[in-house]
Order: sequence, then structure tokens, then C-alpha cells
Amino acid sequence: MSNDSLDGREKLIGWLLLIPALLVLALVFIYPIARAFWLSLFTENLGTQLQPEFSGLTNYLRMLGDGRFWQSMGNTAIFTIISVVLELILGLGIALVLNQSFRGRGVVRTIAIIPWALPTAVMGLAWAWIFNDQYGVVNDILQRLGVIDIGINWLGSPALAMTALIIADVWKTTPFISIILLAGLQSIPQDLYEAHAMDGANPWQSFSQITLPLLMPQILIALLFRFAQAFGVFDLVQVMTGGGPAGATETVSIYIYSTVMRYLDFGYGAALVVVTFLLLIAAVAITSLFLKRLRVS
Amino acid sequence: MSLTNFLIKITRFTAQKAKIYSFLLFIGLFLSLLPFSLLPVFSQQPVQIKTLMRADEAQQWQPLVNKFNQKYPHINLEVIEAPSDSNQVEDLYTASFLLGNSPYDLVYMDIVWTPKFAAAGWLLDLSDRLSEQEKDKFLTGDIQGGMYQGKLYRIPFRSDAGMLYYRQDLLAQAGYQPPETFDKLIQISQDLQQQGLAEWGYVWQGKQYEGLAAMFVEILEGHGAFWVDAETLEVGLDKPEAIKAVEFLRTTIEQKIAPPGVTTYAEDETRRLFQNGKAVFLRNWPYVYSSALNSPIAGKYSIKPMVHAVGQDSGATQGGWGLGISKSTKHPDAAWQVIEFFSSENSQREYILATGYVPSRTSLFNDPEIVAKYNYYPKLLSVVQNSALRPPIAQYAQASDILQRYLSAALTDRMSPEAAMKAAAEETRRLLRSK
Repeated sequence: MSNDSLDGREKLIGWLLLIPALLVLALVFIYPIARAFWLSLFTENLGTQLQPEFSGLTNYLRMLGDGRFWQSMGNTAIFTIISVVLELILGLGIALVLNQSFRGRGVVRTIAIIPWALPTAVMGLAWAWIFNDQYGVVNDILQRLGVIDIGINWLGSPALAMTALIIADVWKTTPFISIILLAGLQSIPQDLYEAHAMDGANPWQSFSQITLPLLMPQILIALLFRFAQAFGVFDLVQVMTGGGPAGATETVSIYIYSTVMRYLDFGYGAALVVVTFLLLIAAVAITSLFLKRLRVS
Repeated sequence: MSLTNFLIKITRFTAQKAKIYSFLLFIGLFLSLLPFSLLPVFSQQPVQIKTLMRADEAQQWQPLVNKFNQKYPHINLEVIEAPSDSNQVEDLYTASFLLGNSPYDLVYMDIVWTPKFAAAGWLLDLSDRLSEQEKDKFLTGDIQGGMYQGKLYRIPFRSDAGMLYYRQDLLAQAGYQPPETFDKLIQISQDLQQQGLAEWGYVWQGKQYEGLAAMFVEILEGHGAFWVDAETLEVGLDKPEAIKAVEFLRTTIEQKIAPPGVTTYAEDETRRLFQNGKAVFLRNWPYVYSSALNSPIAGKYSIKPMVHAVGQDSGATQGGWGLGISKSTKHPDAAWQVIEFFSSENSQREYILATGYVPSRTSLFNDPEIVAKYNYYPKLLSVVQNSALRPPIAQYAQASDILQRYLSAALTDRMSPEAAMKAAAEETRRLLRSK
């Protein structure tokens, strides 16, 4: 009996101690999301003199027929999937190299993270010039190699502009993945490899049977981080293409920015945020479920 | 008794052990009281009037700002420098109004922002401050562009309009008069290109951005078509005349009158082609005239209103900048004094002479001092008077984006002109219907 009440008191204290953290969570996560959801049920734009008017699910119905939203969603998905997969493959390769001991390893490790430390807007401007059709380095190299005669208008055609964006993003964020994976590699004990080698395993077998399974948690973390970041990409696209040509590189976050800041359509902007948020959560959940399955097998 | 004891103790304590502390306390007290003693002095200071504009233009404003502050000692006008990109200036204004308590008393705005800012309720109605008589002294298009739903929100400071530049020397050489119609422009271009007199016939702005919409308004107007009727909110983009307008632009690309890269060009790329003598015709804003004066084609070019279809009139897209008063300002009268000073004939003359921009007052186009420096201004007046407005609707930014995307798709051959304009018209109708 007294044991029980003591237990209860401890529980109570436990909850009391948790309250500050819960409050912070509520303030920075739950409140904004709930607020966006609430706002998405209203029409609040220039047509209503910026006064909110309850309109139920009108904003969501409008979204179904909004070709621009689905196009930007498609652009974002293509950008996210291709760039994250490339970054993971390259990042793993770089991490494996940096994990070897060689002279000057510390220096190389430092240099490797420089792209990631640069402000995105600055590096976006540089990449826009690299891909410039008249003065760009890329066209210059291709012309010198004799691959092309006239400069390619990289940022002027849909597929090429997306390619340029992905190249710039891969260059910038691969170091982030390799640093996370490098930390994971260093936590794998060397004796495992030695024992495995004594059993007659070749390097590929030890990579696929030891390195990869033991690295899975870090891969998962890196994937989730990058997935969420790439999905919300804004600055790089804004600086390099501004979403053009003909909306072919417009991402969801750029569309939301236009809707809220330029069109002053707050209700619809909030609905866009809510749907994007839910789709992102769903995508992350599916990915992590899939990867967990992979790990178990 | 106990109180005195206590006080004595305290005094002794401070005197003996905490001299330094008490000294610091005194200093602190003194410093904290200082602002109050200075307050009366501050309240006699001039009222602050702030505005925000692109850094490059803020520099050009400085001489007039100094003059104003000298002439009106009770007002202190301060121009805050913003990034040199109009979109970012618009964002800064928008953010300051959304957050409430905007620090800007005056809003220096592009003509296309006016309906949005007015509809959002961020601007003061200036209709009663400007008499009809004064109003008539400005260019009609500039005043019209400052109106929203019958009320005036913006007083024009400098004007802008699109026009056709042509190479006088090449036309004379081939024995042509400057063209009046679209067909003639195409014919002359092809002929001169075949004769090898110029590499390209006609260059225009085809990149997906606001300049594309501005350029297209002139082509629409010249075909007797329209974009959005601001009164009835009727959308005219899918009418046969509007589709013809798109087809004209496509023809210039297909017939190689315009270079293939024209669909990625903004104003400056086209200006360079024309200035380097590579094109016969150019659609652009007035700034090209002064900039081409120091180029290989100096003295060989002239301007005229945009061409039009047979039986139609030409239109020049109205641009330009003006001043509005923010609703949140505490000094609307002082702000109005700034507007009066800057939009006055004398200030505009000084500004135009220094910068080469276009005045918003009709009289200045024939002003002796201005004509002495820029002899083409009387000709400019005939262009500017044909002005066509981009639709003065609250949702202009969105309507313009819709048009830009579909027009860009039609120009780059991803959609047929009919399909693109039909889709653009339907999306615009949906936008205007939805509240």
C-alpha cells in the first residue's frame, strides 16, 4: 500500500520534471502545426481584405485541381530522391577512404567538409555562374574537350536545369553524409574484420556482411536528415533558377513562399504546408519502415 | 531610535567599506536618469519620415533628400537602402506590413504593387490630397496605375513605358519606312537578314519573369486583345486575337527572326544584342536609349511606338515608380510634404537631368533644359501617352505568374498557343472567382 503510493509519488515527480520539456515541445512543434492546420480551414487573402473567413475544406479541394502544386511536388520528389541516393553512394565511398589511415588524413578530412560549411546562397550563386551558357566553366570545359560546339543553355531547359541543381546539391551535402558515416565506421571494432578474414572472407564479403549491417543505424540517420532537408530545399533553387524555366524546377517550398509572401494567400498557403507536412511524414515513415525490414533480414 | 541606529550603521558601512560601490551606484543612477533630462531636447527634434528603396536608386535620391531636409528643417527624411532587386524590396515592405507597425512612413513602389498593397489595406487613400487640376498635369497612365477601385494610392515620381527601337541606317539603306504593323516588321526583318545587313531581325524579352508579361501586354494590345478587364474581371487570354498574339511571337522564333535563346533573355541580354549591332528591332524600356548613346550604333537608331495589327492601335506597357503613404505612419502630413516636394516639377527636372529616367509630368517632356540634354524626349512623350496597364487587380502577382508559365511553355514549344492560352485563361478565371 505505502509502496504503491510511493510509486505514485515518484511517477508524479517524474511527470512534473518532464513538464518543462513538454512545454517547449508544445510551443515549438505542436502549436505551429496546429495553427497551420487551423488556418488552412479559413480563406484569408486579398479577396477577404486579409480577414479570416471560415471555409471548411475549400482550400484542400482547390489543391486537388492545382496543377502547379502537383508539378512542384513532383519536382521536389525527383530532386530529393536522386540527390539523396547519389549523396549516399558518394558519401559512403568518401567515408570508407577517410577511414583508412594514410599520411595527411586529418587535413583531407577537414578539406572534405568545406563544401558543407559554405553558405548555400553563396555557393548557389557560384554554381549559377559555373552553369552559365555564355561564361560558364562547364561549357568551357566541354567545348575544349570538343564534346559540344555551342554552349549548352543549362539553366534554360527543364531537364538540364534540374540536373544542374542536383549536381550543386550533391557537391554541397555529400560531406555531411560522409562525416556521419565516418563516425559510424569508427565505432566498428577492428577485431571483427580480423576474425572474418581468418574465416576466409574476401574484402567484399566483409564489407557487405560486417560494414554495411553495422553501419545501418548511421545510414538511416543520414538518410532521414537529408531527406527532410532536401524536401524543403529553397535557397539553392531560388538563387540558381528561381523555379524556372516554365516552373520546371519549382519546389514546394518556393511555391509556398510565393503563395504566402507574394500572393498573400494565407489560408491556401497553410493548406499547402499541412499537406506537404503530412506527405513528408508519410514518406519518412515508409522509408524507415522499409529500411528496418531490410536490416532485420 | 532603532531607525536612526540603523541609518548610522548603514552610513558607516557605506562610508567605510563600500565607497567604491556607492560611487558606482551614483554613476549608474546618473546614467539611468540621463535620458530623461535629454527628453525635452529630443522632442523638439524633427519628425522622422522613413522610406525604403533599392540601394542604387537611394544613391540617386540623395541630392534631393539633402535639399528637402534643408528646406524643411522640421522633417527629417531618411532613405533606407534595400537590396538592388525590386522583388526583394517588395518582400521587405510586405514583411514589415504583415508584422504590423511598419517602420516605413512612405512606400516607394513599382506600379504593379499598388493594387495589392491597397487591397491589403496598407496604404492611405490620397484621393483628396491631389486636386483634379494637379492630377491632369501627370501622365494619365501613371495616375491610372496608382488607382485601385476608384481611389488614388500612389503619386507618380518617374514613369516608364515599353517601345520599339529600330535601326534608322539599316532601314534607309534597304529603302524602308519604320514599320507600323506586325506583318511589316516581320517582312522587313526577313529582308534585311537575307541581305546580310543584320544577324537578327527582332529581339524581345522571352524569359519566364515579370518582363515577359510586361512585353506581352503590348503584343496583346496591338492585336486588339486583352488580358484581364479590371472592371468586369473578364479574362481575354483564350480569345482568337490573344492566340494570334502568341503566334506572332512564335513566328519570330520559327522564322529565325529572333535568336533561339530569346526565350531565356531578360532586358539586358536583348539590349546587348541590339547595341552590338546584331539586331534591327528591339522591344525595350527607355533606359536603352541613353545607354546606347555610347555604343557602336550611336546615332543610328530611333524609337517609335510598338507595332500593331491592321486596324488596331499600339500600346506601351506602363511602368514606373511612385510614392504612397503607409497606413501605419504617425505623420501623414509630413509624409505628404515629402511627396509634394519630390513629385514637383523642379525636383523631377533635377532628378531626370541627373539620371535620364522618364518624368511623370507631361510638361517636362518638352522642357527646354531637358530637351537640351535629351533631344528624344518629345518623341518619348508620343510613346508614353499610348500606355497600356497591366491589370490593376489585387491578385496581379498570381495572375502574372500564371501567364508567364503558360506563355513560356507556348514559346518553348511545350504547348500549342491555343492549349497554353486556354489553360492560362481558365486558371486565371478560377483565381479571380475564388475569393
